[in-house]
Amino acid sequence: MLASSAKRPFILSILQRIVTTTDAVLAQPAASPARASWSRARRRMFAAFVVPAVGVLVVVTVLPLLYLVVTSLTPLDLTDPASRRWTGLANYRQLAGDARFWNSVWVQGQLSFWTVSLQLVIGFAIALLLNGPMRALELMRSAFIVPMVMPPVVVALIWKILFTPDISILDWTLGLLGLPQPAWLADPRLALWAIIVADVWEWFPFVMLMLLAALQMLPAEPLEAARLDGASRWQVFRHITLPLLKPAIVVATLFRLIDSVKAFPHIFIMTGGGPGTATEVTNFYAYLQGFSYTYIGYSSAVIVVMLIATLLMSVMLLYATGREVEVE
Amino acid sequence: MSSRVPAVSVLVAALLVAAVLCPVVFIVQMSFRTGHDAFRMPPTLVFSPTLHNYVDLVEGKFVRSLANSAVTATSTTVLALVLGVPAAYTFSRARVRATGLLSLWTLSTRMAPAIAFGIPFFLIYKDLGLIDTRVGLVVIYLTFNLSLVIWMMRAFFDGVPRSLEEAAYIDGAGVVRAFLRIAVPLSAPGLATTAIFTFLLSWNDFFYSLLLTRSEAVTAPVAIVNFMNYESWEWGKVAAAATMIMLPVVALSIVVRKYLVRGLTAGALKG
Repeated sequence: MLASSAKRPFILSILQRIVTTTDAVLAQPAASPARASWSRARRRMFAAFVVPAVGVLVVVTVLPLLYLVVTSLTPLDLTDPASRRWTGLANYRQLAGDARFWNSVWVQGQLSFWTVSLQLVIGFAIALLLNGPMRALELMRSAFIVPMVMPPVVVALIWKILFTPDISILDWTLGLLGLPQPAWLADPRLALWAIIVADVWEWFPFVMLMLLAALQMLPAEPLEAARLDGASRWQVFRHITLPLLKPAIVVATLFRLIDSVKAFPHIFIMTGGGPGTATEVTNFYAYLQGFSYTYIGYSSAVIVVMLIATLLMSVMLLYATGREVEVE
Repeated sequence: MSSRVPAVSVLVAALLVAAVLCPVVFIVQMSFRTGHDAFRMPPTLVFSPTLHNYVDLVEGKFVRSLANSAVTATSTTVLALVLGVPAAYTFSRARVRATGLLSLWTLSTRMAPAIAFGIPFFLIYKDLGLIDTRVGLVVIYLTFNLSLVIWMMRAFFDGVPRSLEEAAYIDGAGVVRAFLRIAVPLSAPGLATTAIFTFLLSWNDFFYSLLLTRSEAVTAPVAIVNFMNYESWEWGKVAAAATMIMLPVVALSIVVRKYLVRGLTAGALKG
């Protein structure tokens, strides 16, 4: 896959670009002395435009991440000033045998699987429904994005209220229908589902928007040709629309997958990781280790492992987008 | 594509919109009820709305948290634009485009879980005395805002024809004048969109504020959670506060709806 000749590895394409741009700059003929000095001045000005931004970016992103890696190699404990010392990979060895860490990975796996699948199905279905040149449909598109742009805290609060027995209209409705009224957030089997529902509600519009954009850019000819040939609606969808949408589906899935690893406000507000460790995803476990138990060193090691996983997914995403995906 | 939309689809879509917006309507109506009335079962559809919860909020410390949110989100937006827009212009106009590197950078800062920056910033701020300051928040928000500004604005500058700037060069204008007098005004809509985006992301932040503030610099999203813990069961107030922080965001996002996908997938997709 990496060695496929059709698609160059990403790093190589960067290198190649650097080489060709350098060539182009060096080969540029200086038409006249005046023009040469002008373009030199222009280049200097461009440098002045870029250097501050890149400098700040390095300071606020690269240095902290290096500091994180260094911290992960120490047993740093916030309550113990003497704990700033080097212990090599001890945290990582401890991590490998930490059952609570592996449980958090499993919880994350379930959360990611269900939220991403449900968002894909619901988002896709609504995108198909809204795909038409009608004013009313355009208005509805705007309405559907509301959950996604709301502050995550508000989303978490709304669903916390809805899932709390006695005060919730959801609870009351279930009672009215003669259905069981479980204490969602206090039940180890249901708490994760409560989080899943909140997350699906918040983020299905993202999938919907991406797929709507892709649907609206589908070429008309193959679809019309297939219809003229007598293909049924299902056949057109299955053999033409779906394959054409595949890149957009892949990208939407990867984006949601990577973001699902970052679920924090919902878990913090709705369940606090509980009951027990039923909703304790890796991100939340790292937060508890670092800021409830003050073991920053160990927490950093958990995060470094998570970062490597997200980086791998991001590289996959870049490969996926290499195949001509465009949005509005 | 079929140009006719069946009425059934429109009806189904309308019902779905209603269902999806239900929780939002629920919290907004709750903010206009007294605590007792809000949870009376069976729920009453008709009620006499009261501003009681809002008055409580305005008289309490919540206004200060709202101000903190507004000040930090605005400052970080301005800072990210001042630093990022010239850089974006350069990436659009100069021969060295570095698209791949920029893309990887933007994407990885967007993808990294907040806590990856939270831990080192927390440790550094502790040493520098920047915990519980608005400056601290403004700086950490640059971790996601700056690369976002560069990424989005570069795409907007790419859409501004170069010919006008070239005419200005011939007339003897320097890069700075071409940039300030021509490129920036012509990409004003893009500038506004980008500014709204960075503002929203900072305004919605929960994690960094939770980690890096205590009392003085607390922003609104964290202040709400504190209501829940210390003044338990004041759900009416929680609902009112939630409505207050949600409304500006929803209004602004509808303005930039067209660009939402572009902003949220920054780094991965061509604009």
